[in-house]
Amino acid sequence: MNRYLPLSILALAILAFATLMLVIAPGMQIDARSVPAGLRDYTEAQQRGRDVYVAMGCVYCHSQQPRSPDQAPDGERGWGRPSVASDYVFDAPHQLGTMRTGPDLLNVGARLPSEDWHLTHLYQPRAIFDWSIMPAYPFLFEHKQQAETDDTIVILPPAYAPEDGVVVAGPDALDLVAYLQALDRTYPTPTDGLRDDGYASGPSADASSVEEGDG
Amino acid sequence: MFGRNRKHDQPRPDENFEPYEEFSGIPMPVYWIAIALAIWGALMLYDTGKDVTLAQDDRVEDRAVQVSADLGEGGNLFVANCSTCHQPDGQGLRGAVPPLAGSEVLGGGPDIVARILLRGIDGPIRVRGEDFDGHMPSFASALNDDEIARIASYVTLTFSEAGTKLDPSRVAKLRDELADAGSFEGGAELAKLATSMSPQPLYPVPKMADAMTATVRDLVFVGRGDVWACASCHGDLGQGGENTPRLAGQSADYLAKQLNDFRDGTRNNESMQIVAAGLSDAETASLGTYFSTLRAPSNASPNLSADLARGEQLALRGDWALGVPACFTCHGSSGFGVAPDFPALSAQHAPYTATQLATWAGGDRQNSPLGLMRQISQALSSEDRRAVADYLASLPPVPAGQTASAEEATSNVN
Repeated sequence: MNRYLPLSILALAILAFATLMLVIAPGMQIDARSVPAGLRDYTEAQQRGRDVYVAMGCVYCHSQQPRSPDQAPDGERGWGRPSVASDYVFDAPHQLGTMRTGPDLLNVGARLPSEDWHLTHLYQPRAIFDWSIMPAYPFLFEHKQQAETDDTIVILPPAYAPEDGVVVAGPDALDLVAYLQALDRTYPTPTDGLRDDGYASGPSADASSVEEGDG
Repeated sequence: MFGRNRKHDQPRPDENFEPYEEFSGIPMPVYWIAIALAIWGALMLYDTGKDVTLAQDDRVEDRAVQVSADLGEGGNLFVANCSTCHQPDGQGLRGAVPPLAGSEVLGGGPDIVARILLRGIDGPIRVRGEDFDGHMPSFASALNDDEIARIASYVTLTFSEAGTKLDPSRVAKLRDELADAGSFEGGAELAKLATSMSPQPLYPVPKMADAMTATVRDLVFVGRGDVWACASCHGDLGQGGENTPRLAGQSADYLAKQLNDFRDGTRNNESMQIVAAGLSDAETASLGTYFSTLRAPSNASPNLSADLARGEQLALRGDWALGVPACFTCHGSSGFGVAPDFPALSAQHAPYTATQLATWAGGDRQNSPLGLMRQISQALSSEDRRAVADYLASLPPVPAGQTASAEEATSNVN
């Protein structure tokens, strides 16, 4: 093989170009965004809860990326407005997810702020929704004969309550619920909000451009 | 093709032959394909660029509608927000809505008008020698600083002799100052600020305490045995969020009926059915009364990025081409509700309203009197449902701290 020098230079140039366009440029674009006014960093408990969320693999069934009305009726489902890049400034790694076996959770703290509800639901989803296919997480809870003073008792319908004693929330369950309650991105979209809008449908996006887009 | 011809011309390779690559030009079709791909790519980029700008504009526009409806002078804003009650000529409605023209309150200048817009007024007030006892909503959530400044300027300049312009920065300051002030307690409290006002009737002691029995307090804030507390989802003030509805200021009878319907299974919602299962009729009634007395600032926003103008049209005028009457014909002027059957809609969370319309259309919710809502919801497209939900979320909340319906509020002679 001769002319390996121009070949390798060309290969490196293509790689550098791709890195520039796919990594460096978007990185700069995202870094330029400020923290939205309504967003606060996670507290220590919420951060621990976030670790539990990651460890339990919630991301496999729950996304954290509400879509725009062009794509899905997420707003009507109460899942919140379409998210923008700066909504995730404190999420590392982000939990965007791809599967929606369960509902999107980016705004679950806004639509379901109840700690008690979440504890019941985590202990046994079927206690609330008899059709739910979400796994139960009883191992995050403790079964005690007698609740101690600083224990959080889980409210359970008689059918799911233990025959004697009470179910109290373990530290992981409490942290996880604290994290879920913190998932609230309902503040107004930042004006410099960055989002891939894909093929927006509007009066000026005529039929021909849509056809081209499909090709 | 070219290569093969040249190969035949060459002598047979000897043993020292080192294979080498011949130079052959890139066939023309490849050039054409590459050029076509490049042009296609450039066109696509241009095309999506248009879409992205479109979506960006859309978002900016949405926000513009939320934070600054560009309606020109204060006059347009006045017509849109005030004139349904106070009338375009500012004369009010005799016995129901106080006049603005010649009102003593305006002696305090645009500053006091801005305060009233931010806080609202509850209870008795005497204007131009006549007594009124109604409720003016707070517009703090519905209008921004600039809009309030323009309306206040317009009202004082038009309806009083000593009018001046008000600066939006002053409104911003007032907004911070008055954040938790609640409504003015009738003309009595207002007179302390506007010295030009005549002696005012006394503000009656509110009847809040009645509704707040120990049972209700436990249900709302602590929960009972195997149910969650109301406030844990609906908020301490019944303000709700996303698709958890706002309850504050809702009609008592309507709330009691919904709780009874959840309990009897005529309205579906797993969480609410569990909560309502153990409630007696007396408890649902007193819970309804309790939430109807609550007053909470609106935390709803039009967040479904729908067409607010279309929403306004549906709410105010309906769309007879679809056979849809105006929302406000039944739900009361300004969407404040008409007890007992028609709930308040103003300041309700947009996702909740849109979801309910969808469940009516789909048949999952069917507890409306005469099946009215089913017919209406089915006639609306999903864009229309979002539009009307967004518009209703942008309205000021129900002002009354009592079970007053819009009907009562406007027919209150004393």
